[in-house]
Amino acid sequence: MAVPTDVIPRRPTLLFIVVLALLFLLMSVSSQTRYLGETRTMFERTVMTIFSPVPKLVHWVGGALQDMYHGYIDMRGAINENLELRRKVASLTTDNLKLRQSEGDLRRLRSLLAYSEQFTMSTSMAQTIMLDTAGRFKSIIIDRGSSGGVEVNDVIANANGLIGRVVLTTKDLAKVQLVTDNNCSVGSLVERTRRQGVVRGNGSTNLQMGDIPSLADVQPGDKVLTAGIDGVYPRGIPIGLVTKAEPGQSLFKTITVKPSVDFGAIEEVIVIHTRKVPPGIVRYAP
Amino acid sequence: MRWLRFAIGLLLALTLHSLLDSFYPNALAFFNPYIILVIYYSMGGNIVGAIFAGVAAGFVQDAFSNAMFGLHAFSLTFCAYIVASINARLMLRGTLAFGACLGGAVIVNELVIYILVNILVKQRIEMFEQALLVKTIFTLLFGMLVYQLLTLFLREEPIEATRRPAAW
Repeated sequence: MAVPTDVIPRRPTLLFIVVLALLFLLMSVSSQTRYLGETRTMFERTVMTIFSPVPKLVHWVGGALQDMYHGYIDMRGAINENLELRRKVASLTTDNLKLRQSEGDLRRLRSLLAYSEQFTMSTSMAQTIMLDTAGRFKSIIIDRGSSGGVEVNDVIANANGLIGRVVLTTKDLAKVQLVTDNNCSVGSLVERTRRQGVVRGNGSTNLQMGDIPSLADVQPGDKVLTAGIDGVYPRGIPIGLVTKAEPGQSLFKTITVKPSVDFGAIEEVIVIHTRKVPPGIVRYAP
Repeated sequence: MRWLRFAIGLLLALTLHSLLDSFYPNALAFFNPYIILVIYYSMGGNIVGAIFAGVAAGFVQDAFSNAMFGLHAFSLTFCAYIVASINARLMLRGTLAFGACLGGAVIVNELVIYILVNILVKQRIEMFEQALLVKTIFTLLFGMLVYQLLTLFLREEPIEATRRPAAW
């Protein structure tokens, strides 16, 4: 005879403890692997894939309503032209980045060191559909995923400069870690003096540039670019301007960098499909 | 049926999350729609259901933020369990009782996240106290407004308790 379900003793406390233990385990794995560009986030990707139609639909509906509003209230032709010009600006920025790198840095290095390198990065365009720039983990989600050729560690930039890198992809979407995130570090250099350092996010609106000796020449107003030494970000992308450079308490300067990108107003972005460092090398990097 | 209503609520929370992220990127620093849903569900007193509701809502929140995967699931499950355990004994009803549970849950939720972030990634969260205060106030106001609307217009009480003899 079956036991009535309402008298079966249940053990919610035991279940609660087991669930919390499993979640803690999941978090531990996640905290150790998510920033290495590894693929041990199958579960996260699955949840994101299942629910991805919701933000896409919201973005689509929101975009459609905005289009209608602007189309009928303002001059629709002017808006379309504006969009077209924005795409052109983004496209020209891409070309500018390529030219700056290939005709600037490479020419100088080639002539001095007989160093030859071919600039082969391909790019594509994407739109942001979710921005989480105010929380303690800074990220955005873009409307292109693995089906659009986006891969983990692809670099995201816009007309103003560096935005971040892709940390997770699904078929249609990709999650981007912003440079202002606490866990983000970028190999960088000061354009004027070519002094190399590491720019780190600190969760606020500004960035910190570290590993610059106290005697190095860095002044407010100096432009900071990516150095191309970290295996992720290509060289020559603007990061921001130095706003404060003070002698620190230790051997290094305390340098504050104001990002060149307004993270609250990101719309269209450039996805730079970078050349990936083999996982074996990343795994054994110090 | 209860799970269907929860699933619809979860989709609405994610829609709100997406909407605010798209148009007002700073708004989600002020309140958390997922905890409103989980506490509303947990007020029914079904502890097992509340645990699964916390896990599900937390996973969705984690998937669309850059947090460690499982962080919000852990904190929401913790809050859901506490609220459901209290309601399994006291059967709290009404807007004020819901507000009290929600306010307490938001504070506990933020504290759990603060502790986990400190332990696992060894980071200090800047302006924690201010963020906690602002988030508590706005989540409380928004949650009580939603509760009032559900009660007044849909004649909806928190999802009915289906309590069983619990073995502690």
